Amino acid sequence: MGFALTDEQQIVRDAIREFADAEVAPLAGVIDREHRPPLENLPKMAALGLFGMLVPEEFGGSGADTLSYVIAVEELARRCATHAVVVEAHSSLCCWPIVHFGTAEQKAAYLPVLASGEKIGAFALTEAGAGTDAGSSRTTAVRDGDEYVLDGQKVFITNGTFAQVFIVVARTSDDGAKGLSAFIVDRDTPGFTVGEPERKLGIRGSATNPLGFVGARVPAANRLGAEGDGYAIAMATLDGGRTGIAAQAVGIAQGAFEAAVDYAKQRVQFGKPIARQQAIQWMVADMATSIEAGRLLTHQAAALEDAGEDFTARASMAKLFCAQMAVQVASAAIQVHGGNGYTEEYPVERAYRDAKITEIYEGTNEVQRMVIARGALR
Amino acid sequence: MSRSYVIAAGHAGVGTLVAHAAALGGEVVALVVGPRDVAERVAAAGVTRVVWFDEAGGHAAEAFAPAVAALVGGAPGHVFAARRPADRVLLGAAAAALAAPVVADATAVADEGGRTVVTRAVYGGIATRTVAFDGPVAFCLDGGAAGEGDPAPVERADASPAGIVVTYLAPEPAGADLTRATSIVAVGGGLRAREDLALVEQLAAALGAEVGCTRPIAEGLGWLPRDRYIGVSGLRVAPELYVAVGISGQLQHMAGCRDAKTVVAVNTDAKAPIMSQADYVLPADLYELVPALTRALG
Amino acid sequence: MSVVVAYKWAGDPQEASVGADGSVDFGRARPGISEYDAVAIQVGRNLADALGSALVGVCVGAAGAGAPVATKAALARGLDRVLVVADDSLATLGTAGTAQVLSALVGQVGDAQLVLAGDCSTDVGARMVPAVLGGTLGWATVTDAASVRADGAGVVVERTLAEGAQTLRLALPAVVAVASDAAKPQAPGMKDVLGAGKKPADVIAAAPLTPVGDGETLSAARAAAPARKGVVITGDAATAAGELVGALRAAGLLDKAGTGR
Repeated sequence: MGFALTDEQQIVRDAIREFADAEVAPLAGVIDREHRPPLENLPKMAALGLFGMLVPEEFGGSGADTLSYVIAVEELARRCATHAVVVEAHSSLCCWPIVHFGTAEQKAAYLPVLASGEKIGAFALTEAGAGTDAGSSRTTAVRDGDEYVLDGQKVFITNGTFAQVFIVVARTSDDGAKGLSAFIVDRDTPGFTVGEPERKLGIRGSATNPLGFVGARVPAANRLGAEGDGYAIAMATLDGGRTGIAAQAVGIAQGAFEAAVDYAKQRVQFGKPIARQQAIQWMVADMATSIEAGRLLTHQAAALEDAGEDFTARASMAKLFCAQMAVQVASAAIQVHGGNGYTEEYPVERAYRDAKITEIYEGTNEVQRMVIARGALR
Repeated sequence: MSRSYVIAAGHAGVGTLVAHAAALGGEVVALVVGPRDVAERVAAAGVTRVVWFDEAGGHAAEAFAPAVAALVGGAPGHVFAARRPADRVLLGAAAAALAAPVVADATAVADEGGRTVVTRAVYGGIATRTVAFDGPVAFCLDGGAAGEGDPAPVERADASPAGIVVTYLAPEPAGADLTRATSIVAVGGGLRAREDLALVEQLAAALGAEVGCTRPIAEGLGWLPRDRYIGVSGLRVAPELYVAVGISGQLQHMAGCRDAKTVVAVNTDAKAPIMSQADYVLPADLYELVPALTRALG
Repeated sequence: MSVVVAYKWAGDPQEASVGADGSVDFGRARPGISEYDAVAIQVGRNLADALGSALVGVCVGAAGAGAPVATKAALARGLDRVLVVADDSLATLGTAGTAQVLSALVGQVGDAQLVLAGDCSTDVGARMVPAVLGGTLGWATVTDAASVRADGAGVVVERTLAEGAQTLRLALPAVVAVASDAAKPQAPGMKDVLGAGKKPADVIAAAPLTPVGDGETLSAARAAAPARKGVVITGDAATAAGELVGALRAAGLLDKAGTGR
């Protein structure tokens, strides 16, 4: 069992870190205050291949292993949780299902433009009345000739404002969760509208939009998998997404931790830097340990996925642990900063607000516990 | 070593080099590339004789590298040159011809029993070494001021330039030489906008000082010309007074201003590295303190 | 024809630790390719693409410079292949020795006509290797190039010196050291990183010649930081400014205005 990163993985980490320090960090506070997406960075991220990591080389992606992908997401999140989720939602929730469930025609039509970043992807499962209870989705898809007609609404869809390709889960029959199907929907479909983004506590730069479908006609050729496969596709997709969100949480925590360490070394009270106070030292030790534990869980989940082994429970553990850890570490980081950490002048208050969403989206902490318990009690 | 060479490409600022060469004994031969008047100014710098490579503008001084290398290779000796682009290239060619080691940062150069003993800073100045050399050494150091002594004989070299033609030169008026300034106000990353340079310039004017900067201000942002950047790969300055404003004090910058007699540091971050390397430490916002200083100076 | 870029695999001296005996330990300094070398590689990449040439990296250093993580990091930046001489005995090779070994590597490339180098190295910063390399090869050499472009049988270099802006034409073969803003280096993308391992890296464990030494070290010491007074002046801007002016005046520093031109 090797714990060392390969040379490529180390170089990926250094390269994305270099990019994040130069191009992501300066925008992080700006997009947070302005509640807007980092549109000006999307072409630069595309040039680095950040939108093609989970797309095979034959379709223009880099065919990166999951662990390299996870490292890249963490490095982005270390500087800005929003940049990280733009990439994660596009990659894990849109590219991945097309790669794994798409027909040859669907892959050829969509993967190259997604990999190049020419089109950004999104994933639409959640509805106002169907969050954790995703199986109760009510958006309908009624077959009409060689098209499906979609009617309904989705909420909280990441990347909505600027995405061009949406994986939409809609009901094709009344059979509960088994009555759901997945569709690839182009943004310019008549009858499909993207609503104004939510104003949120954190990841404020991430566009989180409601979607509306009124008689929106989608070619039957765009149905992903068979009728009735929608729920299974969504669950498999979210399985992989878990590791991505765990990585985002690790990155948020790492960024907050580094800020706290810098601050502790500089802040002088009682004639010496607070880093020399045992209370601070213990907080730093606890933060460092829990970040490392979370990172290892995340890397292991990614490595299991790469090895073709069953990674569902491990990915759930990683997401559960890292999300809770990120919230704790961000809170501790503010504590180290004292009053200063509560102001917008320091980055830790944003880390605290950003961390919270990792406990909620792509499967709440409670859902993760259900998955882990189910596996453990089998 | 029975002789030392001092290279000067288009300028006469070789006073310090000549002093080092003279201290090592033997004749001091200046190798000057440029128009005749430069050769004559170098001749007054205390050298034994000048070999002049006539170059009045059609070729870059670097084009004489093979000629300089051939001359030095034929009659080996130490070679000294200033930290300037063409001078370095000529020095490099001479060093290659001699298969000589290169010293780029020396605080002391002496002859001790036939060996050349040099005290040099290493690795950006974090440590020093005293090193003994047998045989000729190529030195790249601060050139020093022009000399004002009796002129030595100037002989025109029978050599032609090879291969580097200057097709266009848009001359700039000679800028201030920060290495000769008695006071410098230097600005760094604490400056938020190019327009804010005016604040720094006003303080410099009130102090009768020159304006310098850190590398990102000159090379990254281009807010000041490159010849005002102070640092390990830029200018090394040793003014009486160095006022560092909004500069954190990274090693690469401090290597350029370490030798200042008095350092004043203004920075909002009381724990910035420069704050422990200054004589007067002002943990304050430059946007308030610099105008206040300008006013206090009347 | 090949375009060659000389690069270094070295750590930042700010992260090195200096012992009381003056010995310098780079153990905690992560080595990497400097931002200056990254600029040179980018300029090389642009030129090689324009000329349809190969871009070959050459490097001399300690054993770590030949490790896959180092060669892949260099290849990921846009080099087509690298030739590296890596041995711990070369870690303390001086400027002249480095230039000599690099010139031997350039010779091994065979069809090299242009060698590019960065503005300076992060760890030594002498800015002399390109000059000595050019002298050893006997090629036309210029430094501080703000732009380099191919033009027929030569290259055209633009640069800004203290005396003004210059445009130079050099006949090949030539050595050109580029200024730190000659190009904006592209951070390696995912495809570059993942593809780096497939590009050739020839690592040689011994220098192809005996390089020039760097003198005999008689003694070493930590840099003597000049003792600074460390007088802290606080208070509101007007008060602090007044106090500083008073102190400088008392030290006789305010009458020495002006520069020596």
